[in-house]
Formats: sequence, C-alpha cells, structure tokens
Amino acid sequence: MKRSKSWQSAALLLTVMAFVSFACKKTPAPPPPPPASNAPDTGITPIAPALPAPTVTLRADTSTITRGGTVTLSWESRNAATVDIQPGVGPVTPPASGSRQVTPASSVTYEITATGPGGRISDTLRITVNDPPPPPPARRGGDAVIPPPAITLTSQQLFDRDMQPIIFDYDKSDIRDDQKGKLQTAAGYMKSNPNVRITIEGNADERGSEEYNLALGDRRANAVKQYLVTQGIAENRLSSVSYGEERPICSAQTEDCFAQNRRAAFKVNP
Amino acid sequence: MLLAPMGAAVLRGQQIDTGTTVGMKAVKIAVPEFKPSTADAKISQLAKVFNDTLWNDLDFSGNLTLASRSFYPVGNFANPVDIRADDWTKTGVEASYITYGSVAIPTTGSMRGAFTADLHFTELKSNQSPLQPVRWSGGLDTDDAARFVAHSWANAILESLGFGKGVATTKIAYVADRAGAKEIYIMDYDGYGAFPLTAVRDLALTPAWSPDGEQIAFMGYRGSVTNIEVISRRGGNPVSFPSPAGLNTTPAWSPDGKRIAFASNRDRHTTDGTEIYVANSNGGNMTRLLPRTTTRGIDTSPVWNPATGREIAFVSDRSGSQQIYRINDDGTNLRRIIDDGGDAENPSWSPDGNFLAFAWKKAGRGFDIYLHDLATGRNSQLTQNAGDNEKPTWSPDGKHIAFQSDRTGSLQIFSMLADGSKPRQLTRSGVNKAPAWSGYIK
Repeated sequence: MKRSKSWQSAALLLTVMAFVSFACKKTPAPPPPPPASNAPDTGITPIAPALPAPTVTLRADTSTITRGGTVTLSWESRNAATVDIQPGVGPVTPPASGSRQVTPASSVTYEITATGPGGRISDTLRITVNDPPPPPPARRGGDAVIPPPAITLTSQQLFDRDMQPIIFDYDKSDIRDDQKGKLQTAAGYMKSNPNVRITIEGNADERGSEEYNLALGDRRANAVKQYLVTQGIAENRLSSVSYGEERPICSAQTEDCFAQNRRAAFKVNP
Repeated sequence: MLLAPMGAAVLRGQQIDTGTTVGMKAVKIAVPEFKPSTADAKISQLAKVFNDTLWNDLDFSGNLTLASRSFYPVGNFANPVDIRADDWTKTGVEASYITYGSVAIPTTGSMRGAFTADLHFTELKSNQSPLQPVRWSGGLDTDDAARFVAHSWANAILESLGFGKGVATTKIAYVADRAGAKEIYIMDYDGYGAFPLTAVRDLALTPAWSPDGEQIAFMGYRGSVTNIEVISRRGGNPVSFPSPAGLNTTPAWSPDGKRIAFASNRDRHTTDGTEIYVANSNGGNMTRLLPRTTTRGIDTSPVWNPATGREIAFVSDRSGSQQIYRINDDGTNLRRIIDDGGDAENPSWSPDGNFLAFAWKKAGRGFDIYLHDLATGRNSQLTQNAGDNEKPTWSPDGKHIAFQSDRTGSLQIFSMLADGSKPRQLTRSGVNKAPAWSGYIK
C-alpha cells in the first residue's frame, strides 16, 4: 500500500502515546497493548497531529468615543483555553466568545491574547478617545435656547431632490437618453454648490456573478462620472465606488426591482 | 493491492456521465460508536460530536462505503479483544475494515482535562492494522477538540489506505452577511467551527487562500476605497496593498505563494472596465497582464493553473458576454476556453491542472456548476434544477467542490464530490457565499 510520510513528519509528539508506552504506569487504567498479531505490518507509527493553533478576533461597537463614554469590546476565539485583554481588562470568559464594556480615559490600543495547547495569538484594536465638546457659549439673559437652524436637513433635501439615482439597462453602463435629464439637473446642482464633493456609488442587480457585477457597478459609476465631467464638473469633486450586487435597495425577483438596483446613486462626501 | 486515489483524473472516463459513485469499487468499513471510558459530565456530548464527525468524514470522503450500523453486533467495542472478525464480515455488514475504540477526558496524566480518543484501525480478514493503535488528545475539552481528533483520525485512515492526504482538517473561507456588514469567515471543511476573521465593519469580499494555508487575501472596503488586503488565517490586522486607486477585487495567489493576480481599473484610462494585474504578494511590482490596446470590456476573476503556475484563467466580456479565457502569465497566448453560448463565470482550476470548474448560465436557465476538461474540451454538468449555483472551489485533493447555492431560498454554501454526487449543506443561518477552500493546513 502506498503511504505518504508527510503528515507524520508534520506532526508533534507532544500529546501522543502509543499504547506500548502506557505499560509504564503514567496513565491510569491503560488499555491493554494490542496482541502481537495486531501489530503493524509496516513499522508505521502514527503520531498525534499538531494541535490546532488558536485564532482570535477583537472588535468594538465603535472605534471613537468621547471621554467618559463606554465602548463594548467583543471577542471570538477558537482552540483557546484562556483569553486575556490588556490593558486593564485581564482574563475574560468564556474564551470562545463574549463582550465587555470599558471606559478608557484616553486613546488606547487594546491587545487580546488567546492561549491554547496549540500556541498563542494576539489581535489589537485602537480606540480613540476625544475630548468632550466645549460648553455652548453663555447667552445673555434668560432667553430660551434657540435650536440651530436645520441647515443640514434642508441641504440634504435639496441634494436628494436634485441628485437622483441614474438607472441603467441590464448588463449595460451606457447612459440612457431618459436618464440624461437627471444628470443635467445633477450637473446644475454641482455648479450651484461648488464646495460639494460627492461619491458616485455604482450598483448592479443580482443577475450575473458577484465578481462581474462589482466591475459592472464600477463601469456604471465611471460612466456617470465621465458624463458630469463633460458637463463641466471638476473631476476632483467626484469619487466613485462600486458595490456590485452587495447593496440592493429592492429584493424581489422582478424586473421592476432589478431595474431599481441597476443604479448609480449620489452621496455627499462628509 | 494499490487503490488509486479517486481524484479528478479518474473523472476523465465515462463515470462522469453516470452520476453514480466515481471510479473503482469503494472499500467498506465498519465504524461502531466510540463509547466513553470516563464518566465526566461533558464526555457524552463530546463522544457524540466525535462519532458524528468521524462518520461524516469517512462517508463524504467518497473513497469508502460505510457499513450500516443496523447490522452491527451489540456491545462495547473499545479494545482488540472486543472484535470478532466474523461478526463484521458476515452478510449484512460485510466490512473489510473496522475502526473502533473509546473516548475519555482523563483526570490525571499529561492529557488530563482534554478530550482524548483511543483509536484502532484493523483489516478484518488479515487482522492486520494499517495504523498502529494510538491515544490522541484534542488539547481541550471542547467540541472543536473532539472534531479535531476525529478529523485527524479520518485523514490517517484514508491516507493509510492509499487514498492520498485527507482533507478533513482543511478549512473554507467565505463571506458572511451579519447585520448588514459582510466579513470574511473561516469554517472547517464540514461547516463547523465558523469564526469571523475580519472586522472591516463594511464589506469584505472575494477571499482567496495563500497556497500554504496561512493567509487570506480579500477585497476590503474602507469608505469608498476598495483594496486588496491580506490577513493571517489566525486573526490580527490585515495589511493592504500600497496606493489603492479605483476598484481592486478578486485576488488569487500563484501556486508558489509569491504573486497575487487581481482585477483593477486603477489606471482609469477608460470607463470600460477592470483589467487583470499581477503583483508580488505584498502588492509590490504591480503590472498589467495584457497591454492596454488589447483590452476591451471587463476582465475579472483570475485564477492560476496550480499545476504549472504559468497560466491564468479569467472572465472577460470582450466578446459581448461573460466568457472564460486562459492566458500565459507573461501575457501571451490568449485563448477563449468556453465557447458554447450563455454566460460562463467563476473559473476554479483543479489542483492537478486538468479541469476548470465554473458557473455557467445558459439562456433561460439559472447558473449551474460545470466541469471543463481542458484536454478534451468536454463540459460536464454537476448541478441541476436547484436554483443558482455559483463560485465553485476545489478541495486540495481534487475530490470535492464547494459552491454557493440559493436552492434553499437564501444563499448558502454546499459541498459535493467532484462528480456532483453527495451534495451537503455546510451553512444554514444568515447569508453565506463566495467559498474558498484552503490548501492543506499545517
């Protein structure tokens, strides 16, 4: 019979005991050694495989907090007997997964270390702690606090009105004639708001492969970008990204729904 | 007696059309339950995990027939004295081999507190043991530890019978949608032990294993920037390729682990689509595979020929629809491979270099997994009448293919033998897709 020796050599001796060695009293109630007739015919001695190395991931519900705020750290690990988070947290249980709230006073990099019979591994996570905002300026007299005007909302409403998603035909990235009006309006908005920078998000419907759709969404975003450039919008105000079929806004398996997902949408850059 | 491995090479014959067990008559093995020899509170649960895992590993190997437990003798089969060959070779059971033993959590000794198994494997007729009896420890008293010992023993049995290195300790990386974010996860090849590897909190897509099984390259979103990132399979922080621009997606490692091919439109010379680039595995020395003048449309989804390391297959819509092409890694000898209509995507090169698995959507039908025999040009259909089936990926022994399917109503990951038989659902909750099967993991 053909046998490879590779898995044996890759393995560790640490945890194996061939039954032969049980004869020497170390282990309680050892099973009897196999009878001679059962002895291996080829001299192969299987060696215990190397124990799997631990894995660990540390994450947080936010990467930035204001001083005094809390952040929830959560971990998942495999093949670990103990998991320890530093600074200031210490051993956490159960090792496999869990979460812990912390209130760091200043920016800190947490390190999680998982240790098991197969070794040790670490992961790190940076939490930024910002100073609280300064108190609002004192107002004269006892006037009621005037809420700030809802400028952001109005701007967003204007943006949403003028920057509507551009729809494409199946597997196409050409700008349809019936979409050019929306693009003219969008170009007009960009000209009236010269400080606004945008990201054009290209999307595809779920037909076709995920990988092809990433490229197709990219092609659509770029087609819209090029159109706006020809309308006189500076290219450096226009970013683009493709989400392929990963961010559908409609999930039914109908042509109407597919069409809504074949879109290039606009988003204001912060 | 030499039993040839039932690899993809065997698929070359007529067997592929039969849809039945591939290759030669399978070896029949009896696998009575391993019973606990200690009374720890956890051991019954771990014994069940161990027994289920060992049975499934041997069953899904495709090389063995497992004798039905209905006809086994009654008793506890922990030691050689418990095995009477006649009981296991008689009509009904008719096994050629038996693996048996017991499991425990010792309270003393070097393995105390850990799941252990005493493991035997015997050919019944000759009473010879292809593997010497051993006691193995899983290191901890967890389900994962019990599964690990079972996987390792299944591998040892298969290898001792000449079926090549078993894949029971290999892993599958994939994309899981959890609460809107998509992250790269890793699970055991049988769907257990899922672990979230990335924490991009946005989109992490298109995972690909380094050939040594230590690293995973993937497409990561950081705001509106997409880039190729590389992360250790054990966790930690990913390292990104330098100076990202445009779309960067679908990384694939060369078989020597030194280079990564990927799709990008980083030059942005056209709105026409991504092109194939090749870089060092750290992103250095980035070059376009094809000169600019020859590209039209979208090129994406590159994969290397694992046998030669000199060829790349990829998807292009330069003909007007998505089709699969192959090209030398110096950019010469571009040829279309699949030439029979429809959309052909997701090429995955078999480990021996002889086959491409791919997803093919013919007019009016969903995607199905096909095998393309590169020597004969013949295409064989592996899935049918069960939703969209995409993203095939080979096990390192060439005997299995994992893929994604929406046959249950949501996208989930399945595996099957490379002839399409024994389909097995690996994931069940949430949305799970884009499987990538690891090489042999140390």
